[in-house]
Amino acid sequence: MPVESNDVLQGTLDMLILKALSLQAMHGWGVAQRIQQISSNVLQVNQGSLYPALHRLEDRGWIEAEWGTSENNRKAKFYRLTKDGERQLSTEAASWRRFATAIEAVMSTT
Amino acid sequence: MTLLRRLRRRFRALAFRRDVERELADELQLHIELEQEKNERLGMSPDEARRSALVTFGGVERYKEEARDVRGVRFVEVIAQDLRYALRTMRKTPAFTAVVILTLGLGVGATSAIFSIVNAVLLRPLPYDNEASLVRVYSAPPGDRMPKFSVSVPDYLDFKARNRVFADMAMWLNSTMTLSGGGEPERLSAIVSSDNLFSVMGVRPLYGRLFLPGESEHPDGVVLSYGVFARRFGSDSTLIGRRITLNGTAKTVIGVLPPSFRLYTRDIDVVAPVAVSQIPKYNQRPNHLLRVIGRLRPGVTVAEAQRDIRRVAADLATEYARDNEGWKANVFTVRNEIVGDLTRPLMILLTASGLVLLIACINVANLQLTRSAGRGRELAVRRALGAGRGRLVAQMLSESLAYALLGGALGVALGVLGTRALVALAPAGINRLDEVSLDTRVFGFAMVVALFTGLLFGLWPALRSSDPHIGGALRDGGRGSAGTIHAWRVRGALVIAELSLALTILVGAGLVLQSFRKIVDLDLGIGVDNAVALRLTLSGRYQDSTIAPFYARLQRELLAVPGITGVSASDRAPTQANATSTDIRLLERPEANVAGTLMSQVSVVVPDYFRTMGMKLLAGRDIAWQEPQNVAVVNEAAATKFWPGSSALGKHVVFGRRSTDSGVVIVGVVSNVRRGDITSPEEPMVYLPVANAASFGRTMMLVVRGSLGTTATVNAAKRVLAGLDPTLPVYDVRTVQEIVDDVVAQPRLNATLLGAFAALALLLAAVGIYGVIAHSVTQRRQEIGVRVALGAQPADVFRLVVRQGAVLAAAGLAIGLVASWLLTPVLRSWLYEIEPSDPLTYAGVAIVLGAIALAATAIPARRATKVDPVLAMRAE
Repeated sequence: MPVESNDVLQGTLDMLILKALSLQAMHGWGVAQRIQQISSNVLQVNQGSLYPALHRLEDRGWIEAEWGTSENNRKAKFYRLTKDGERQLSTEAASWRRFATAIEAVMSTT
Repeated sequence: MTLLRRLRRRFRALAFRRDVERELADELQLHIELEQEKNERLGMSPDEARRSALVTFGGVERYKEEARDVRGVRFVEVIAQDLRYALRTMRKTPAFTAVVILTLGLGVGATSAIFSIVNAVLLRPLPYDNEASLVRVYSAPPGDRMPKFSVSVPDYLDFKARNRVFADMAMWLNSTMTLSGGGEPERLSAIVSSDNLFSVMGVRPLYGRLFLPGESEHPDGVVLSYGVFARRFGSDSTLIGRRITLNGTAKTVIGVLPPSFRLYTRDIDVVAPVAVSQIPKYNQRPNHLLRVIGRLRPGVTVAEAQRDIRRVAADLATEYARDNEGWKANVFTVRNEIVGDLTRPLMILLTASGLVLLIACINVANLQLTRSAGRGRELAVRRALGAGRGRLVAQMLSESLAYALLGGALGVALGVLGTRALVALAPAGINRLDEVSLDTRVFGFAMVVALFTGLLFGLWPALRSSDPHIGGALRDGGRGSAGTIHAWRVRGALVIAELSLALTILVGAGLVLQSFRKIVDLDLGIGVDNAVALRLTLSGRYQDSTIAPFYARLQRELLAVPGITGVSASDRAPTQANATSTDIRLLERPEANVAGTLMSQVSVVVPDYFRTMGMKLLAGRDIAWQEPQNVAVVNEAAATKFWPGSSALGKHVVFGRRSTDSGVVIVGVVSNVRRGDITSPEEPMVYLPVANAASFGRTMMLVVRGSLGTTATVNAAKRVLAGLDPTLPVYDVRTVQEIVDDVVAQPRLNATLLGAFAALALLLAAVGIYGVIAHSVTQRRQEIGVRVALGAQPADVFRLVVRQGAVLAAAGLAIGLVASWLLTPVLRSWLYEIEPSDPLTYAGVAIVLGAIALAATAIPARRATKVDPVLAMRAE
């Protein structure tokens, strides 16, 4: 599978999901919308790939899922951040900032 | 916590797979609906909105697959799915499935049945402590002809005192004892042994105790086998300490041996201790009586023991030159004693069954390969749909594994039945055969063979069929490409291999079967019809002087029974050979009397034996009840060997090297009888009348011939015997025919087994060549159609297909003939009056196998002639 250029960087998707869920519990589609919305449509989440990631995070215990009702009374699976997930998010956010700063420093040296 | 939760999730994923799957589907479904609605709100038409939603989402199935992977139970699910798929495939192709499973089952079954026997007889440890250091010690008379001769008492004592390698040495003598009191008298097989026998062997009692050191000096206690203990005394453990009557004397039962106890070939009923000083003629070196067993010191090898005991024997030969000159000694492991003769036959059978298994595997591989070639398009489609190469290989493997497991299960079932059949077929006297059962090791062996076979034939076609050229396979259905030609070559090679293996087994079986027929057709030299034989033993109450009159009266009274036409007795069964021969001298030919060169077997008979047994009197007369002097009858072999060119009648034979009496005078010559394994002609034999050799007449085999039928004849004999002496034990009652059958039982077993293997090999080879040719016809339908359209006649098409099979068959036969010629000399010991390279057998077998191969080819060839050119060419 060729990697599309607007794909979210591998590994950062997890962080984005955690971030999105840190504001409120929501279902998969909501997470996709939220990421696009916050990033002002810069980050195009490949919507399908969201689900393996959600299931993976759930398996690791960073998020937990619950069936509830969505818009128009439809059955939907809502994901919520766990305590572990919060910790994970802050760890990843910190390391991401270090990484971004480093890249920025490299790129700005001319 | 985390771990627990994960386990719960994984369990849920497995146990409620359907629910989990539905939830996943629902979740994705909702996402796409929501996206579609969003798109509609943005102004798209419903169709466009849905399309766009799906495109944005990406491959639904792919992400489902990835989400499933997250559950961490993928491999279990995959295997379950694959197995389900395999079973579905099996159901769809029942004929193929049946052939594969049967082929494997027969191969595995035959192998595991044979392996059960090999395991029981050869591999399973003997029921002795540390059996590797347990050895038998033998004397060997000059000339190396008899490496396993009994040991004299003085030699035994010297071996024991002078060796440097044995921790201890024990001895025993075979004997029989009559158990009386409480029920019918019973003759027990007994041994008298030194009191350290059990400690040397490392045997512990089941009840009571075994002999104590020094117990043989005042022998009162006896040890019973578990068999007698259970049969005669109802396993009553209070028997210990009680007294029983043996040979008319009261003895105390001190212990019972464990059920596993066995002294080589003999099932022992009772063991009594004996001091060497109580053994008759114990101080005479020429009197070889003892069986000796020894326990080697730790770290001593059998070869070292052999060297050391030979050193002692050489010393004795010098010191006691008069008796021991030229005598040596030998050491053999107990395992060698018990298993020795059978190693080779069992290995031959194991090889044959291994070859059959190999043929079965080749066959299955071939079938699998053939089928997977036909499935090229299916696999290509599945790859195009996104199945990974590894996934396809796993799928094919699990299919093969499913076949292997089912085949293995069938094989084990057939193995259990086959083992039973083999035990039933096997001749009496094969050691430890009664211990045969399908134990876990055997079961494991069969399963490993089945699984290994599964992987073997599964992997290769799986790798080939997942060849990455999907496009090509999709276009032409895997037909006509270079890969197909390659596969055809491989299949051809497999068929050739299979045919050559089958031919090798067939040649071997053909040779053995012909030998067997020749053995069965042998003229034994005795009449077997309407004759029964029973053994009886006269107790110590009979003096030597009353033994002959007893038999005279027995004969007279039995002959008085209407319908009984012949009654006589001999000290051995009709075809039994004596293990030892006796030194003789010829009074009339002193020049022939070189020490140790003239030996003869000796048998003791009751008058009228030769007529009763249906032997021919060639010269002179039979022995009579009253003889004026010591007389004997010799067989033809003795007459021609001892007195070549002149009549044996009136000549004298003297027994023993130094005896000075005038010996016996020959009054008659009778025809030879085949003895032992009946394939070699009889050795010289001297028949002595029981009146002159009464001490040999205590245990005799009575032969009664008559027109009453077996049961009535036996009953008449038992009635008369009971009238003469009610305490007399009568045992071992058989017809003479049964005795003779026992002699050919081993060759019959060999022939039956090899014959069965050969039939199996033939069947499998026929299936193999049929499968390949039939597949090739299917593949070439279009080509054949074109040929027919261009004017080929059915006969041309038929020839075309058969030629293909004939080439394979010819190559297989040629290789097989060479392989047979190289391998069959291994069978030589099983062959009788036929050479391992017998050209007739080779030719006959090649013709049979070739004809069957061509017949198997003819079926698909006939089908090829029915190809409708229009249909065939339009089929694509």
